[in-house]
Amino acid sequence: MAQVLDIVTTAAILYVVAAGLLIIFGVMKIINFAHGGFITIGGYSALAVTQLGWTPWASFGFAFAVGCLCGMIIERLVVRPLYARPLDAILATWGLGIIIGQVITLAFGREVQFVQAPIRGAIDALGASYSQYRLLLVPAAIGLALVLTWVLNGTRLGLETRAVIMNENLARGLGINSGLVRFITFSLGSGLASLAGAFITPLSSVDPNMGVPWLVGAFMLVLVSGVSLLSLAIACVVLGGAQVLVSTYGNPILGGLTIVVLAALILRLRPAGFARE
Amino acid sequence: MPESQVPAVVAASDAPNGRSSAQLRAVIAVSLIALALIAIAPYVLPMFMVNSLIRAFLYAAVALTVDILWGYTGILTFGQSAFFGIGAYATGLIFTHLGFSPQHALLAFGAAVVVAALVAAVVGWLSFYHGASPLYASVVTLVLPIVVAQILYSGGEFTGSSSGLSGFESFDISIETWFRIAGAFLVVLTALAWFFVRSDAGRVLVAIRENEARCEYLGINVSRVKILLMIACALIAAIAGYAFAGVQMVVAPEYAGFVFGTELIIWVALGGRGTLIGPVIGTLAIDVSTAYLSGNLPFVWKLIIGIAFVAVIVALPQGLMPPVASALRRLHRRASPQAPAFVPSLQAMTAEHFAGLSGSAQHAIEVRDVRKHFGSLKVLEGITFSARRGELLSLVGPNGAGKTTLIRCIADGGERSEGAILINDRDIARRPPYACVALGVGRKFQAANVFETLSVAEALRIARTRLQRPLFSARAPTLEVPNAVVKVLQATGLDQRLGIEVRHLSHGQKQALELAMVLALEPGVVLLDEPTAGLTRPERALIGQILTELAAQEGLCILLVEHDLDFVREISSRVIVLHQGQIVLDGTVAEVVGSELVRDIYAGGGSMRSAGARA
Amino acid sequence: MTTAALELDGVSSGYGEAVVVRQVELAIAPGEIFCMLGKNGMGKSTLLKTVMGFLPIRQGSIRAFGVDITGQPSHRIARRGLAYVPQEQALFQDLSVVENLRLALRDDRALKAGIERIGRFFTFLPRRLKQRAGTLSGGEQKMLLLARALISRPKLMLVDEVTEGLQPSVIETVSAVLRAERDASSVSMLLVEQHVRFALAVADRYAVLKLGEIVDAGRVGEAGAEQRISDHLSV
Repeated sequence: MAQVLDIVTTAAILYVVAAGLLIIFGVMKIINFAHGGFITIGGYSALAVTQLGWTPWASFGFAFAVGCLCGMIIERLVVRPLYARPLDAILATWGLGIIIGQVITLAFGREVQFVQAPIRGAIDALGASYSQYRLLLVPAAIGLALVLTWVLNGTRLGLETRAVIMNENLARGLGINSGLVRFITFSLGSGLASLAGAFITPLSSVDPNMGVPWLVGAFMLVLVSGVSLLSLAIACVVLGGAQVLVSTYGNPILGGLTIVVLAALILRLRPAGFARE
Repeated sequence: MPESQVPAVVAASDAPNGRSSAQLRAVIAVSLIALALIAIAPYVLPMFMVNSLIRAFLYAAVALTVDILWGYTGILTFGQSAFFGIGAYATGLIFTHLGFSPQHALLAFGAAVVVAALVAAVVGWLSFYHGASPLYASVVTLVLPIVVAQILYSGGEFTGSSSGLSGFESFDISIETWFRIAGAFLVVLTALAWFFVRSDAGRVLVAIRENEARCEYLGINVSRVKILLMIACALIAAIAGYAFAGVQMVVAPEYAGFVFGTELIIWVALGGRGTLIGPVIGTLAIDVSTAYLSGNLPFVWKLIIGIAFVAVIVALPQGLMPPVASALRRLHRRASPQAPAFVPSLQAMTAEHFAGLSGSAQHAIEVRDVRKHFGSLKVLEGITFSARRGELLSLVGPNGAGKTTLIRCIADGGERSEGAILINDRDIARRPPYACVALGVGRKFQAANVFETLSVAEALRIARTRLQRPLFSARAPTLEVPNAVVKVLQATGLDQRLGIEVRHLSHGQKQALELAMVLALEPGVVLLDEPTAGLTRPERALIGQILTELAAQEGLCILLVEHDLDFVREISSRVIVLHQGQIVLDGTVAEVVGSELVRDIYAGGGSMRSAGARA
Repeated sequence: MTTAALELDGVSSGYGEAVVVRQVELAIAPGEIFCMLGKNGMGKSTLLKTVMGFLPIRQGSIRAFGVDITGQPSHRIARRGLAYVPQEQALFQDLSVVENLRLALRDDRALKAGIERIGRFFTFLPRRLKQRAGTLSGGEQKMLLLARALISRPKLMLVDEVTEGLQPSVIETVSAVLRAERDASSVSMLLVEQHVRFALAVADRYAVLKLGEIVDAGRVGEAGAEQRISDHLSV
């Protein structure tokens, strides 16, 4: 029974981590390899909140704001010149991730540190004793999914964003400033990554490279989901579930490989992944 | 002629390959000097430096393979570290668990090489299938080192897990000798790589990077080339890993991992991708500096590298080396007269006819009930026709009639939904483009997408690759092409421009070069998609004349898609009119010109139904 | 002298090295319907794309309503009141009818009134607002295209071969709509067409483009115009 909870909470965590990357990939058609760095920024924002003595609930909003701000700066300076060179964009953003890691190390030190969780302790769920905070992530992920879906489908910005995703030139011909859409998208996507970092930090700890292991997994999930938030949810459940099962019944280290290897195989057999089409 | 009275400049132009042999001499000289330095260095340098450099030499060898894959062929790979790790661990495992002996050393070498080759073959098969996206290939090379490293982490006692293996017995060789071995390995490898990338075979890699699709249509099995290249580079990286384990006597999973893989990319990018020397120097400089500075300012140094890397990617994608090199070249040019670039001499072959016209087939092309649909959208319906050798057939019709789709179906066996297509009486089945070329199809694209940075001669040489295996270590001094190609080159003045880079040609000249390259394939059937697009009036006349001669004299079957109906009227022997995916009329020029139906379609009669109602 | 709706002065452009449009000069007055005729591959679509800023201009200048728009980004040109109806990939197939219409408006508040207006021309549209655009028939999609162009109350419409693939009856409707809209709001139009009969029925003035150059121009209905056009365009 604990397995079911593991699968559901793992899927929720993966979803939160990958959502920001998916939105950036969909609109800008580039993979933001600084994503790991933004997760780290989020983790350290939460740490800052703890160190400043604020309530832990503030870490989420704070992390999101910090992430957005950093995203805006990075989009202007680094990403904008690389619109036409997607493979180079992967490299440049990876370099940014390194820079972020080093700056954080210089600012906060290299040791592993701990963040105060908003909720601690375990709760009885489905007959097993399970971490409350971890369970909380499931409604958080669902809430996030609903908010994103509402923004994309219910707002004018969301409509314009979807138009830019489908056909940027056509959108421009209708008067939509696609450069602005990209800017907003990248900033929000970075903010989301940072928020994800704040979400996952209480589960373990912070260190300057905490984002890197999540990066590749998130990257593969995005590739396998196309440009659909729904496909991403499905992918997170399927692949996340596979990871949990392999870790439990097999080898936990190999379990870490499950997402990455399965995704690569799925893409080979069906380049569209889980997306419709 | 008394040599002393001949000015130096004339002598240089007498030997058209002046620069090439001068470069060859330079490379050999530099290599010898480097080897000499390496022999002496251990006596002069401090021990710490010697140790650092041994590691750096081996890393530089791996960086070289990354440059060949990425800089020259355009395959962004994060995975060379995995092969390095495989080589190192094969050695470490055998020496740890079986002990050291000459036989075990040989066994370790064999294991390193064989395992690396197998893994590379699998990775290649996974990433380089026909139609794969470059992003997917990079993804696979990203996943590879992660998988390898994780397998090593989970190996428990056997692989040493996260601490790796250490303290195993190894070769009884002094550090100084190891230094010379590693240094010599790097120098020789660099020199060989330099000869390879400059050779005709090496130019194929550049062609693949510039325009992979075009290479497929020139008969080159691009997937196979990439897989073989990957295997070769994996072998080299594994050998470097073998040496690494031998000298360090320590192996750890980090050496096989993703972070090392990306470090290699950073070194190559900073040094200058596609230059060979740049990555080597970049790796040596950065790795040794890191070893020195790590102690004092570890994070600031890494931060500086990170910033330099991002700056280079954004602003100086060619790396730091090329601007330095071109500055040096400018100085050098002022010092000595410019010798002309390597230009092979053109030679017309004396063969009877094109390879694609061998045998006596009934029809050059036969198209039987070919259909093409995208989901419910029908683009081609029931296309049936055949053409003989020597026919010059024009395919006309309004936009969206399906003309280009039909051409695609003939050149690529996987394109059509149903029906059969035979070239020289042989069914193309589901063959990919390069295999259709082997059957005798030559397709010329509408946009002149020839290889921009190659020279005219090099582009033609690429076109000959399928029929004439290129040299792997040099450039052939003569370029043998069919007589028809020579005629096209002479008619358009390209024979005087063999050494010019393609991007400096005018639009008309590029179109002519495209045509020459297609003819160099020795096709039996030539497919031309709007050959006169963007050409001036005299250029159109010239192309028309050339095509007419090719059909009449060489016996080629030429199928061309055209909008310029004047051009069609002048040169075709037969015209097929396509409308809304169906053949509306198939007849002589006179029949088509005189047809009410065709006039209607062109005047904007809209659908077939309205045309039928009026008739 | 009123400012021209569109003025092209010695405009040249093309793809890569190829020059497809050569030194084109034309002027369209406000409220005028102008048609550009020519066979395939002669540069008509290229010309429209250049005006909208999708292709870089090599030579010359373009003015819309007196403002120099040469080299401006496409979305800014669109916001000056130019509505572009492309030939291919013109609709967002996966978005609904109403979403496609909304995208043409700057402000959602104008949506209701806009739908009412275009509903008078294309009666079927208001009933199909939630339908995915890709599921409409070919003719219906073209009409949605026109509706989208009209809903934003443009000052100048650039229309690329809107009649391609349409039934004669539908072409009649399109003809009527264009003329009605012009009469009602003085919108100027540059129609690129291969369908000569339709073009001459709607337009006030014409020009023929051949190999990127204008080889003939004049008022529709002038003596000899039809003959000249027919000669230029014949097989």
